Amino acid sequence: MTVGEKQAGSPNPPEVLDGPFSTRQLLRIDEALRLADQGTGLVFSVFVGGLDEPIREHAERLHRQLAEPDRSVLIAVSPNQRQLEIVTGRHARKRIPDTYSRLAALSMVAAFGGGDLTGGIINGLDQLASHAGRG
Amino acid sequence: MSVTETLLVFVGIPAAAVLVIAGLSYAGSRGGGSGGGTKRYRPGRPFDFTPVWFLGRPEQLADSAGTALAAGAQAPALTSRKQEQAGIEAPAGGTGGASDRW
Repeated sequence: MTVGEKQAGSPNPPEVLDGPFSTRQLLRIDEALRLADQGTGLVFSVFVGGLDEPIREHAERLHRQLAEPDRSVLIAVSPNQRQLEIVTGRHARKRIPDTYSRLAALSMVAAFGGGDLTGGIINGLDQLASHAGRG
Repeated sequence: MSVTETLLVFVGIPAAAVLVIAGLSYAGSRGGGSGGGTKRYRPGRPFDFTPVWFLGRPEQLADSAGTALAAGAQAPALTSRKQEQAGIEAPAGGTGGASDRW
């Protein structure tokens, strides 16, 4: 199911289109996620929205909600708190050491600071996926 | 050419062309491309959009509510039950990652 299919036929477009991302940006994020998943065999996901305090614990809770937390990488972005969290599972952490997560976080934060949410997310996914290598 | 014909050719046609081009550019700036610019995130401005959770494949979310969640769909709010569950589960020791602010 894609965003476009959901939209077809329904008089009111899906709520995600009211968000900060345009349709083109949503498609680019979707593509980046798919490529990262396929290339590495890990499961990448991106959350954009408010996170409760303590932020790190909330991000880890979201990460545990995924089907395979050990093999998953969650990128949680909270624009209001201006906070970025990257959570890597036990297995994923061996492929992407914390040093590389920090590097990816640094470049993502640089893009977010300029107001470019989509660019930062796609860049970060690309960096994490290329550090993880082929699964 | 009569006066009317001259007027039509040298005033009417240019005026029509100008109107068409102006109309097209107005429509383009309103509807397409940047989407007006009001929706995008700007650092420092409040961000009051609904949270979104992007997954490569929607079935990767552990609970059943996730099966209906498409890429880019709205993430379900954490119900208290889910939060309790997550709290009870043994904390996945060894999760790593990074934090940063901007």
